[in-house]
Amino acid sequence: MAGVAGGGGGGGGNDFQWCFSQVKGAIDEDVAEADIISTVEFNYSGDLLATGDKGGRVVIFQREQENKSRPHSRGEYNVYSTFQSHEPEFDYLKSLEIEEKINKIRWLPQQNAAHFLLSTNDKTIKLWKISERDKRAEGYNLKDEDGRLRDPFRITALRVPILKPMDLMVEASPRRIFANAHTYHINSISVNSDHETYLSADDLRINLWHLEITDRSFNIVDIKPANMEELTEVITASEFHPHHCNVFVYSSSKGTIRLCDMRSSALCDRHSKFFEEPEDPSSRSFFSEIISSISDVKFSHSGRYMMTRDYLSVKVWDLNMENRPVETYQVHEYLRSKLCSLYENDCIFDKFECCWNGSDSAIMTGSYNNFFRMFDRNTRRDITLEASRESSKPRAILKPRKVCTGGKRKKDEISVDSLDFNKKILHTAWHPTENIIAVAATNNLYIFQDKIN
Amino acid sequence: MQGKGVKRPRGEMEGGEPEPRDPGAAPASSLFNISMVKLHQSLRRVEPNLRHLVLVANTLRRMQEQMQREAVGPAAPDSPEAPPVGDDLLLSTMDTSISTILEDLGQVEALSPARPEEEQPLAGASGARQEPARTSGPCLGPLELLSSASYLLEDGLEDIFEDIDTSMYDCDLWSPTSLSGFKAFSGAEDSDSKALAGAEDRLDMSDLDYLMDVLVGGHAL
Repeated sequence: MAGVAGGGGGGGGNDFQWCFSQVKGAIDEDVAEADIISTVEFNYSGDLLATGDKGGRVVIFQREQENKSRPHSRGEYNVYSTFQSHEPEFDYLKSLEIEEKINKIRWLPQQNAAHFLLSTNDKTIKLWKISERDKRAEGYNLKDEDGRLRDPFRITALRVPILKPMDLMVEASPRRIFANAHTYHINSISVNSDHETYLSADDLRINLWHLEITDRSFNIVDIKPANMEELTEVITASEFHPHHCNVFVYSSSKGTIRLCDMRSSALCDRHSKFFEEPEDPSSRSFFSEIISSISDVKFSHSGRYMMTRDYLSVKVWDLNMENRPVETYQVHEYLRSKLCSLYENDCIFDKFECCWNGSDSAIMTGSYNNFFRMFDRNTRRDITLEASRESSKPRAILKPRKVCTGGKRKKDEISVDSLDFNKKILHTAWHPTENIIAVAATNNLYIFQDKIN
Repeated sequence: MQGKGVKRPRGEMEGGEPEPRDPGAAPASSLFNISMVKLHQSLRRVEPNLRHLVLVANTLRRMQEQMQREAVGPAAPDSPEAPPVGDDLLLSTMDTSISTILEDLGQVEALSPARPEEEQPLAGASGARQEPARTSGPCLGPLELLSSASYLLEDGLEDIFEDIDTSMYDCDLWSPTSLSGFKAFSGAEDSDSKALAGAEDRLDMSDLDYLMDVLVGGHAL
C-alpha cells in the first residue's frame, strides 16, 4: 500500500508508508480540559518539537541522537523541558478572565546555544529562552557548598572556583513580555525573515513588534470599522513571507486573502494583492460564508505558493494569480450535506490548521474522528490516516481509512453518521526536512514517521 | 451529533436543511431559531468570540434577504412553509438589531485600554501608533430598542452590563487596568514577575505619579 509523503531530500518514486512512532499524553478516557493540546510546532532543525495546551503549559520534546547500532531506527522525541507559559489573568475592567490557553507557538531561528520561542494566549505574547546547564561552579570563597554564607573572618585563603559537570538541567525563562497591544483575541504570530521583528494578529488588527522592544508596537493593519455595527468581516490568520521581510498575508472570515507590502505605506490597510475564488453558484447555501472562512494560511517553504484551509477544503494559491487557487483538495466533502447539523453543534466553526512538508510536495490537514489527510501535489494521491491507540504498536504501519458516503458500507469503512465529531485533529506539524509528522489528538500527541521500503 | 457509533435516524438528519436552490422551499424556521439562539449565547459572554458572532450575524442577514426576496416574489400566499407575518416584522427589524448589537459591542470594547475610536493614524515613516491613555470613558447611553425585536436584545445586553458598576469609570485614570498597563511598560526588560505583579503593586503606586507620567506622555498603554 502506497502512502503519501514527500521526500525531504530524496527523489520521488519511493513508496512511502507511514508508521506509528510514539504517542505522548495520558490514556485516560476522562480528559482534563487543561491537557487539550492547542498548538504544535517543530523548530527550524526539527530537533525540537513544542506543544502548548489549554492550561497554558508548554512542553518541548527533543529528538534523541540516532543510535548507531540500529541505523534504521530514528531518534525518538523525549521531554526536554516543561514550563508554565501563561497563567489565567483577570481583566478588572471587563470582569472577565483571560484564558491561559496557548494559541500559537513560533520558534526563532537558533543563533547561539540557547533556543528561543514565542508563545501567545489571547492577549499576551511572551519570548522564552530555553537553555541548558550541565556544569556548576564549585569552590566559592564566600559561601560553602550548601550555599550558606561563610564567616568572612574565617576565610584565610583565596581559591578560584572550578566548573564541574552536573546532570543536565534545562531552564526556561521569560525574556520579554509583549502585552496590552490587543483588544481582541490573538489568532496568529509570525516571525519575520529578518529575525528581528514579528507580527501578531487579532480579529481586527495586526501589530508589528521588534523582539527587543516590549512597550511599543506598530499597527500595520486595522479593519475595525468606524461603527462596529458595520462589522462583517474579521481577520482569521496571518503570516510573514518566508523570504521577503516586507511581505505578509492575512486571511479573513469571508474566505479572502490579502497580501500586503510594508514598503508601500505605514498602515497596510490597502492590500497589494487580493486573493479570492469566485463562489460557485450551484453550491450556494446559507452556510457558504461560514465554510469559506479561512482557518489557516501558510506560505510554502519556497515562498512561491501559499495554502489556505477552509472548512471543507485546502487550497494552494500561486502568489502570482489572484483570481483562483491553482490546486484544491477536498478534505471531507461528505460533510457538505451535513452542514446544518454541524452548524447546530458549532462544529462548522472548528478551525483546522494545515502544513507543508519540507519540499512543498505534500500537504497535510486534520479532520474528525481523529482522521488526518495528506495530499501529494505531484501524484495527486491522497490518503486518510487515523491517530488512535489501537494502531499504536511500535513501527506499526498505519492503515489507510475510508469514509463511506452512502450505499453499502464495505468492511473497514466507516459511515459518515458514525464519525466522532468530538475527536478533531486541529493541529498538525511536519518536520522541516524529514518525513516525521506530529499530530495532536485532543490531549495526545502522536508522532509518525515513514518507513522506506 | 451523537457520540461515536450512535446513528442518527435518517429523517432527523435531513430535516431542517435549507435548499436555497429550490425557490419554492422556504428556509427552515428552525435554522433561523438556531441562529438567534447562537447570537444570544454569543452576546451572553462578556467577551464574545468575534468571528463566531460575525459569521452567525451574516448568516442571519442572508436568511433575512432570502425571506424578503420570497416575500416580494411570486410565492403562493397560502404556502404552509411561508414565514408567518410576525417573522417578517421580526426580520425587517433584525438587521437593525444586529447592527445595534455590534455597535454596542464597540462601545463596550472601547472601554479597554487599547486604542480609542477617534485616534488618527500617524503620518510619517515610522507609522507608529502609540496608544495614549484614555482620559474619558464613553457614555453608555440607552440603546434604541425596537419594540418588536426587544426580546432579542433584552437578555443579552443586560448580561453585558449587569456587573459593570459605571461609577467606577467616571474617571478613567483610576481604572485598575490602566495602572496595570503602565506597570508592564515600566522597564525595558521586565521579567514576568513584575509584569504579572499582584494587585498590591498597582495600588501602591502614587496616583499623582501616574497622572504626571500620563501628562508627560511618556508611557503608552
